[in-house]
Amino acid sequence: MKKKLVSLILSSVLAVSLLAGCGSTTTDSNVTDEAAGAASEVKVGEVTEASAEEPAEEVSITLGIWPEDTLVEDIAVHEGYVQTMKELHPNVTCVPAYYKYSTDTFMPMVEAGNCPTIFESWFTEPTKLIAQGAIADITDELAARGWLDAMNPSIKALLSDKNGRVYGIPRDGYALGLMLNVELFEEAGLVDGDGYPIYPKTWDELAETAKTIKDKTGAAGLCLLAKDGAGGWHFSNIAWGFGAELCKANDDGTFTSNLASDEAIAAMEYVKSLKWDYDVLTADPLSEDWGTGFTQLGTGNAAMYIGANDAVNQPTQVNGLPVDKLAICPIPAGPAGQFSLYGGTPYFFSKDATPAQINAALDYLEVMGKAPVATEASVEGMKADAQNKVDQGVPVIQRFPCWVAQDVLDAEAAIVAEYGNVDPKMYDAYFEATSSEGLHLEEPGLTQDMYAELTKVLQAVLTDANADVAALMKQADENYQTILDENLNNKAE
Amino acid sequence: MKKGKRRTEGQSGFRKKDLMAWLVMTPSLLLFAFFVWEPLIENIRLSFFSTKMYQVVDFIGLNNYKAVINDVDFMAAFKNTFAYTFWSLLIGFFVPMIIGVLISETVHLKGFFRMAVYFPNIMPSLATIWIWSYFFLPGPTGVLNILFGKLGMEPFEWLNNPAWTIPLIVITLTWKSAGATALIYMANISSISPDLYEAATIDGAGIIQRVRHITAPSIIGIAKTMLILQIISVFQILYEPMIFKNGGPNNASISLMMLMYRYGYRDYNVGKAAALSVMVCIILVILSGIYMKATAKKEEN
Repeated sequence: MKKKLVSLILSSVLAVSLLAGCGSTTTDSNVTDEAAGAASEVKVGEVTEASAEEPAEEVSITLGIWPEDTLVEDIAVHEGYVQTMKELHPNVTCVPAYYKYSTDTFMPMVEAGNCPTIFESWFTEPTKLIAQGAIADITDELAARGWLDAMNPSIKALLSDKNGRVYGIPRDGYALGLMLNVELFEEAGLVDGDGYPIYPKTWDELAETAKTIKDKTGAAGLCLLAKDGAGGWHFSNIAWGFGAELCKANDDGTFTSNLASDEAIAAMEYVKSLKWDYDVLTADPLSEDWGTGFTQLGTGNAAMYIGANDAVNQPTQVNGLPVDKLAICPIPAGPAGQFSLYGGTPYFFSKDATPAQINAALDYLEVMGKAPVATEASVEGMKADAQNKVDQGVPVIQRFPCWVAQDVLDAEAAIVAEYGNVDPKMYDAYFEATSSEGLHLEEPGLTQDMYAELTKVLQAVLTDANADVAALMKQADENYQTILDENLNNKAE
Repeated sequence: MKKGKRRTEGQSGFRKKDLMAWLVMTPSLLLFAFFVWEPLIENIRLSFFSTKMYQVVDFIGLNNYKAVINDVDFMAAFKNTFAYTFWSLLIGFFVPMIIGVLISETVHLKGFFRMAVYFPNIMPSLATIWIWSYFFLPGPTGVLNILFGKLGMEPFEWLNNPAWTIPLIVITLTWKSAGATALIYMANISSISPDLYEAATIDGAGIIQRVRHITAPSIIGIAKTMLILQIISVFQILYEPMIFKNGGPNNASISLMMLMYRYGYRDYNVGKAAALSVMVCIILVILSGIYMKATAKKEEN
């Protein structure tokens, strides 16, 4: 009997504590929110002392663009920005809320109402984030500031919906080039009299250069990606050089897949030869994605890698390549010419953000020097950023012009001249090529699905010496057309 | 359910006992309702709607299901998932049973073997997959290729050979999880009365006869349960193919669950993901039904 009573009590305690547990979780999260709010107020200081002529309402913004905890120096730079914000916009409270965009976490976070006011995303994301209504329309705020016209028109198009509403602004523009590990070029004797790497100008030369490097150093000549969509992304740039047009936008708003053209097949045959004729790739291209590519390049496992000017911190700061041993040259030319794929890495804004919060976040970007204005504060922001790059061993080079405002470009050029920590000649040819007619936007029409199909073909030709390239490309072409029909063409009517 | 009645000591305590049972069950019932049943029903509902983020927008009938079946990767994923199940039964079903029997028969260092065989289980899954990736690396720098190279063999392609991708992934799966299943068999075997073995030995039965006539009949019941549990869990294989080769080469290792993950997390198409998960659920219900029917018949015989 006693035993029974004890277990009865125990079980009811269990039930009660369970209910209590549910309750306390919610209170806990409230507490955390308040604590975070309190902490931020301490950080920014006396936010309440708004002066008489500034009756602006109190605004609090969360900064997903805050650096992650381990990047102490970067955080110090951002604390400087917050300090400047405090002086210029005393009504704004900035709450650090580091968020690294990831497709696994993004949707639940937005649904829970915890999306930071401003955050960075990938260049692959705008279309679907806009379609899902997950990010804020900032057209009006940008228009009021006159930033709409300052944005590089093609990049603006990437961040807009069908009606021309704009949902993001570019953090950086990028144009693909060929990153070189100069140490390996030196080791292979591929440098000219002045010590500059002799870079390949055509895809055929690239194969030969890669072969020389592989023979003389043992390192892979080229790191080619075939793990995920990034493989197809890089391949599309190669294919353009061979004269391919991978997707056709028709006048009636439909799209036609064109993956099985002779030019595209020739490009794929070329990639296949890199593996089976020249054998100059890394051990397993099927394990290489955007990030591991920089590791292979930075750590001296591969001499060449398709990369862009906005990622120069990856081989250097992240993977330890000395700052003066990185060079970027143009993407090699194919029979049909030289092309560089370009686009922009965007900043997006929470769909729950009020116009006042969006404006405050845009102010913050201005302070960071990432806006199309050359105010004193923004130039200071650019300088702080450049100084930090010098300290971290990241090349300070020109940005790809995502803004077309001339005074900003001039200010940036002046800062690169002042803080430049690398030999500009290592980048000259690249910047020349990316300011020419060879610039090429990504293919239209469900590009990520096209990349996925191309990546499957890449995987097949890189694992099977006898793969039938034409048949594989034909299959990919059919698949891609099916996807286009299912998702776009049949819905356009 | 009527067993409870027989077990009650007195009529007076009957109601009280019921109440207590309910009290004991309440927490788990609440948890199940909140974390399992409600999401399940919500999932079925989602699969009939177009979605924006996790919100339903319009009722679109079976369109999500049609989209899944017409997906260019669906057939590959469908076939592969059955291939995973097939290979895992072929490779992985008997291994734990054999390990269980062998360790039970072991006299010396029994504890060590038990620990050793369970060891892969306590390692984080991602870490083991990455370690295996180094073993399976193609070209002359892969660990296995270095080892085989010492024997004068040419480097293998390992996972990059589409014919081998699934069997090799299943081998790593078996390596990782066989120990846990073997423990269950061992527990079962240890509950067999030693008298039976002694009697058999006295009658002159060797080890093979002992296993065949005493051990095998004793563990057949648990083996059947393990069979269906294994089918259900392997059918939902997700992260091994995703981490090893991201479903490649050329869809050689993509699974249904991976496809679902892509719909939900890469494309943010929750309705389509829900539709596929309902389909997987239906397939598993059918497989379980077949299993029940097959085993029920045997028991009648």
